[in-house]
Amino acid sequence: MRCEDTFLIQNKCGLHARAASVLAQLAVKFDAQITLYQDDKSADGNSVLALLLLESSQGKEVKVVCDGPDAQGALQAIGELIDQKFYEQE
Amino acid sequence: MKLSSIISKDCTKAAVLFNSKKRVLEYISELAHEQLPDLNPHDILNALMTREKLGSTGIGKGIAIPHGRIEGISHVTAMLLVNKQGVPFDAIDNRPVDIFLALIVPDGDNEQHLKTLAAIAEKLNNKEFCKQLRNAGNDEELYAIIASAD
Repeated sequence: MRCEDTFLIQNKCGLHARAASVLAQLAVKFDAQITLYQDDKSADGNSVLALLLLESSQGKEVKVVCDGPDAQGALQAIGELIDQKFYEQE
Repeated sequence: MKLSSIISKDCTKAAVLFNSKKRVLEYISELAHEQLPDLNPHDILNALMTREKLGSTGIGKGIAIPHGRIEGISHVTAMLLVNKQGVPFDAIDNRPVDIFLALIVPDGDNEQHLKTLAAIAEKLNNKEFCKQLRNAGNDEELYAIIASAD
């Protein structure tokens, strides 16, 4: 199955190296193709380097598209991670 | 952003041989201290270690981007080390790391930091570029690869 949603990057540092690493480590746990989109750029959710290329700063909106058997669980988990500001202190 | 604008010639080190994460970070601190003599190498090492404690900067595929934020500096200083063999670095894919692109960044400027990371990621995301880095025989060759990729 395929599902998607859009999330607002709220943490101060944006999708920096640590946030991207946490997201990629979460993404590999799911049997789904996970892709993030921002403006005209897209990134494989499993790849930290690709995620860094999105240059997603605080206030940007990213669309998360999940495709595969675990799509729904993946979308929920990644959405929560972004909404919870990657569990960062500031 | 050009990589050669943040990595100077004496900050590209090819075919180095370290066997632990700690030694790599210590060497990076020494290199950074040469570029930023006002900073104490222990403070630089502390900044790098503090960041690693939050989660490894080993981002997979044999690549790590150790970095530390330091107050009171005006610009990014980057260093590139290519180790002869992979070093255990607690990377997210558990693979040893042999390409280290280290950064000492001014504290606070988040937007600029994301731009720097994106510029680095753009280059390191290219398999052929990484292969060239790994094959560089000496520091001059390594720097030439960076300069020609810009």
